[in-house]
Formats: sequence, C-alpha cells, structure tokens
Amino acid sequence: MTAVAQAPAGAPSTTSGRRPTSRRRREALAAMLFLAPDMLGLLLFLGIPMVACLVLGFFQVDGFGGYKWIGLGNYERMFADPLFLHSLRTTLLYLVILIPGLFVVSLALALLVRQRFPLVGLVRSMLFAPNVVSLVVVALVWKFMLTDQIGVIDRILGFFGVTAPSWLGTPKWAVGSILVVTIWFAMGYYMLIFLAGLQDIPREYYEVAKLDGAGPWQTFRHITWPLLKPTSFFILLTSTVSMMTGGLDLLYVLTSGGPANSTTLIIYYIYQQAFVYGEFGYASAIGAFLVVILLIWSAALFALTRGGRFGDGDK
Amino acid sequence: MAGIRRRSLFTAAAAGAATLGAPALLSGCGKSGGAKELTFWNFYAPNPNPGDPTLAAQSKWFEDMVAAWNREHETKIRLQYVTILGTPKLATAFAADEGPDIFLISPGDILRYYNAGVLTDLTPYLTKEAIADFSRPNMDTRLVGDRVYALPMEIEPLAMFYSKPLMESVGVTADSDLPTTWDEMLALGEKLKRAKKPPIVFCAAPGYYQNFTWYPWMWQGGGNAISADGKHSAFDSPGAVHALNLYKQTIQRGISPRVEPANADGALALMQGYAAAYHTGIWSVAEFRHRKPKFPYGVFAPPTPPGGTPKTVLGGWAFVANARGRDPETAAKFCAWAIGSMEQDSIDRVVDWCTKAKADIAPRKSALELATRNGGYDDPIMKKFKDEIFPTGRGEPRYPPVVYKAISDAIQACQLTGADPRQQAELASKQIDAYLKSYEGGRIL
Repeated sequence: MTAVAQAPAGAPSTTSGRRPTSRRRREALAAMLFLAPDMLGLLLFLGIPMVACLVLGFFQVDGFGGYKWIGLGNYERMFADPLFLHSLRTTLLYLVILIPGLFVVSLALALLVRQRFPLVGLVRSMLFAPNVVSLVVVALVWKFMLTDQIGVIDRILGFFGVTAPSWLGTPKWAVGSILVVTIWFAMGYYMLIFLAGLQDIPREYYEVAKLDGAGPWQTFRHITWPLLKPTSFFILLTSTVSMMTGGLDLLYVLTSGGPANSTTLIIYYIYQQAFVYGEFGYASAIGAFLVVILLIWSAALFALTRGGRFGDGDK
Repeated sequence: MAGIRRRSLFTAAAAGAATLGAPALLSGCGKSGGAKELTFWNFYAPNPNPGDPTLAAQSKWFEDMVAAWNREHETKIRLQYVTILGTPKLATAFAADEGPDIFLISPGDILRYYNAGVLTDLTPYLTKEAIADFSRPNMDTRLVGDRVYALPMEIEPLAMFYSKPLMESVGVTADSDLPTTWDEMLALGEKLKRAKKPPIVFCAAPGYYQNFTWYPWMWQGGGNAISADGKHSAFDSPGAVHALNLYKQTIQRGISPRVEPANADGALALMQGYAAAYHTGIWSVAEFRHRKPKFPYGVFAPPTPPGGTPKTVLGGWAFVANARGRDPETAAKFCAWAIGSMEQDSIDRVVDWCTKAKADIAPRKSALELATRNGGYDDPIMKKFKDEIFPTGRGEPRYPPVVYKAISDAIQACQLTGADPRQQAELASKQIDAYLKSYEGGRIL
C-alpha cells in the first residue's frame, strides 16, 4: 500500500504498481505458512504447557483429574520443604562449577580447532559427535564406564595401581561425575558457537597484531576476548538456561538423584514430584519458580553486560 | 516464471505442511478408541524384543490369554506394551483421564490409585471360593476391608542368589557353610573381599525397589514402618535401626559395592562373575533358565539378626481394572476370567505363568498345588523357594509416597553417607507421623 501511495506521477500504471505489493503479500503469506507449523508446535507444546504450569501451581492436583484451589499453598510448602531447598542449593552449586567449566573448555576447544592442522574437520566432528547421540545412550555408556571396580575407568586406573573411588556411589564424586559427563556432552555444541564467533573476527586484526609483535596471550586478551564478548554473553545465557532445565535423562539413568539425594537437582526434583509422587500442582509451582529464577538471571545478565555489548558499543 | 513457480511451490508446500501438521499435532490431545475394544497396558506384550528368550515366553502367555478372551467375547482386549508401569506414561495418562482400561500394578502403588477412586472393586466378579483361593499373606495388600481391588498374577519372594564356583573358591562348599545370620553374612563378605573375589550385592540405587528389598531386613528384627492400626509411625524401633545399620555396614566394610554391577541385573551379574552373591528375587530363576541354564548357582534364605525371625518380602504384579475406563465392568470381568476364576482354564493360566513363562510362586493355592503336581517346583531352587522361603514372606507394603520417601532417605543416608541409623530412624519416624496426622484413605499396610 505504501508503494502505491508514494508512486510518483508518470510511474508505471496501477497494475504494474500493484506488483511489488502483491509479491510482498504473497511472500508474507508464504513466510507465515512456513512458520505456521513451527508456531503451532510452539504454542501447543510450549506456550500452553507454560501457562498451564503457572495455573496448576495454584492447585493441589492429585494426578487423577482432581484439582483443588489452594492459592499460594504450594509456594508456602516449597520454602518449608527441606528437600526442595536441598535441591535448589545443589543446583546452584552445580551451575557455579558447570557454567564456567563448560565455558572455558568450549572456548579452549574452539581456539584449538580454529587452527589449521591435518584432519581438523574430523576433530571438530568428533568433538561435536556426543551432541547427536541420545542423552540416555550417553548416560548408559558412562554408567558402564564408571561402574565400581569393573568399569573401564576403574580398570585402567587399577592397571596403574590407583584405587578409584566409587564415581557414582559417593555423594561428592557423583556430583563431579555428572559435571564431567555434562561438560563432555555439551562442549561440542558450545565450541561450535565459539568457533562461529571466532571466525567473525577479521584476520587483519591478527596480522596487524603480529606485525606489532604481540604474543599469543596479548592477541587473545586484546583482540579475541573483546570481540568474543557478544558470543560469550549468548553462551552464558543459553548454557545456564539449558543446564538448569535440561539433563533430566542423564540424572535419571546415571544416579536416579542419589546417592542420598546428592544429585537431586531441581529438575530431577520436579520430575519426582510430578511423575513419581503424582504431585503435579507442587511440581508446577517449582517449575514456575524456576522460570522466575531464570528470568532474573537473564535480566541481570542483560543489565550487567548491556545486552551482551559490555559497554563497548556494537563490538 | 521459473521464480514464480518455485515460490508457488514453496507456498503450496508450506500450506500443505500447515494443513497436514495441525491435525497431526492436535490428534495427540484427543480421546481414542471405542467401547468395543479395551486396552491392557503391560510390560510383556506385544513383545518389543523378539530376540530375548525370557521375554518371548512371557509375551506369548499374554497373547494367548487375550486371544482366548477375544475368541469368546464381543468386547475385545488389545495389548499395549509400555515400559515398566509406574513410570511417567501411566501417571500422565491418568492425569489426562486417559488411563488404560486394564493395567498391571505393584502393591506399592495400590493405595494411591485406590484413594483416587481409580480401581474397580473386583469382588462382585469373583466367587467366594476364588477369593479364598488366593494366598492371604500376599493378598492382604490388594484388599481394602474385604473388597478385592487387584488380582495377583505371581508371587516373587526375595532371597540370596550365589555363584557356586565363586563361593567354593572361598571355602563355601556345602549348604551348611552358607550364612544363616547377619554376622555370618558380613564375615563371608569380608572373606570374599580379602580373597579379592566379587562382592555380595545389595541394592544401592534410591527408589521404590530399594525400599522393597530392604523391608525384610527390618521385619526380621521385629521392626515396622507403620503401627498395626496404620495410624502411627513405628519406624523409630530397634528392628529398623538394626536394618539401617546392616546396610551401613555392608558399605563401610567394603562387602557390597556402592553401585550395582550389570545394571542391577542380579542373574547377569552372577553369570558374568561380577558378584559372588546377590540379594534379588525369584524372577532371576527364569533369567538363568533362559540365558545360561547350566550355570551353577544356588539360593539361600536371607540370614537373620540375633534373636530374629526369617522374613522375606513377597513382590509381584497384579491385574487391575480402571474404574474410570471405557467399560470397567467388562475390564473387571476380564481380570476375573483371566486369573481369578475357579474354571480350570483360569487356574491353568496361573500355573503356566508361574512355572513356564516365568519362575514364580503361584498366588493361588489351587494353582500352587497343581503346579507342584505337574513338576513345576521339582527344580531344587524352585522347591527351596516354595517350601522354605515363601512361607516366611510378607506382602509388599503399600506405603504412600511420603512414607516411602522418608524411609528411602533414611536407607540412603545410612548406607551411602554413613549417617547414624538411630538419628535417621527418628527423623524418618517424625516425617511419617507428620504425614499420618492428616492422612485420609485406605489402610496403610
């Protein structure tokens, strides 16, 4: 419509003037139709469940179709529930170690595979490979490898005379094992994102730095790191959300939340409440609380980094 | 023109995807099926893994049973395989009011389903003679008052399975050398450890199954989780404390591993030499029979504490009919017809399940007698289970989730973090009492 209204005198006839509008409409329609299945899927499987979760949080739900309005009852129960508080503490501790660990390992790998060396493509593929395997399969393979005394890791250590601890049967080692497996599984994906960020940095900057006599550390500190800030922001944000809300299958197969609740992260506690005890209302309230925590974290991260620009303009 | 055609093609493709995709997505939310067909959720049939000989025999039993019913009745039964019941699939189905018409249930879940009004009272479809035919210690947790809400298809007692070659390697060569007390069992575990042999394995993974395997150790010393009237905690008792301490000792003294080998498959762990002894159930007999029939293994009754009495727990699944299903009456009739009638076919079916498809104790007196006459318990291991271990059994408790979790946390804390058993028993007892104060529903057993 704008094109028609602004068409100057002597411009092509009305018919030809409609063409761009008509084309744009058709393109818009095509775009909407392409997006429709995805949007419908998001609405059905994300939008509606999210709203339902928020609403269910105010009900006592027996898991058999019985609903009773209890207002903030589930939220009051949450803060008096020692197991919920334990799972929250465990989750925060887990994230405090996991997110920086994942960040550093992924960045180091991205810096490594950015180099040109024989079979670099194969190395990149191998590092990314765990991402294309089901997390249940990943967990099963690791579970067999980490089994006390007969797992391959214990056998290798035993060959060198080292007595291994019970990786999955001792509280502190179980948390450590989950951390290692999670980093192993996720690092390829975040490495790829870092790699994309690294490849966006113009090579000329490095060439000039080299001419100026900068060493690898100075190059990293003054060129790579500042120009990777938007990518780093994106990774910090998405990895926190993903690690806090995902990995249930890993926990379920590897430790079932044990030993003695030591790996009962909040996502596993939600699962237990909903599907083991049938407390769908309580589980929904915890889920809603988790969303609030993630929103606060995201807002804080946006504010602290000025939307990922870190006060450095659009770099 | 080529561009337009391509764009048109894309537009049409997108429209098609949207049109086809929407109903496909929406259909997941709708009710399905009609009243002429009832669904039976189970974890045996149709067989998802034809290569597994154990599962093949069990799947066939289900398929034959349903085929026999479908030949004679207008309302058909359709078997639907689901992974072990009590998982999210069943919980989600009931939450959406889409539960199966018939399903299998373990005693631990019965009260939750009964309290929600989901279980059909099967009593009107059973004769008094048939109800009396079910073994009572095992049947108790399937009754509310004198009404029957679930029909057991099997009885699965726990015992100690062991590898004969591994036991012989540490000098246990005769039945009289096998441990009969906790102290002897712990001493044997240390002997195996000193000889660098595989361990004695007790369940260490948290969950309903670990509680199930732990209860008999508590009962042996006279302990209980709930008082006889079902209204108070009885967990803060010497029996419970001693049993918690037993599990603590097995780990602290290095007798049992913190993580079970062979993915917690007792028979497999023994066959592959990962365990010298394993606390597991009678179902392992079928595993040996189908996978490695010549493997030399034995069974001994769970040892007892000083002054204790022999006890084991009787597990096993049961048929139930969904009271909110499409046709609860026919579903209940099916359950009764299949394994709860005095008709010979029904009794034969129980015999076949417990002695041919599986290796279990028949839950009905008539079936147990017939199976014994037919040689179903001639095998020395099965005979030992039937004559020595099963009579010491008590039905698997039906504790609500809060009670289960309090006990589970106590077991895990003592076993895997070395916590003080007395303190843990007190803590769990307080949690159970707090819950029982407001509990309303069927009697907790």
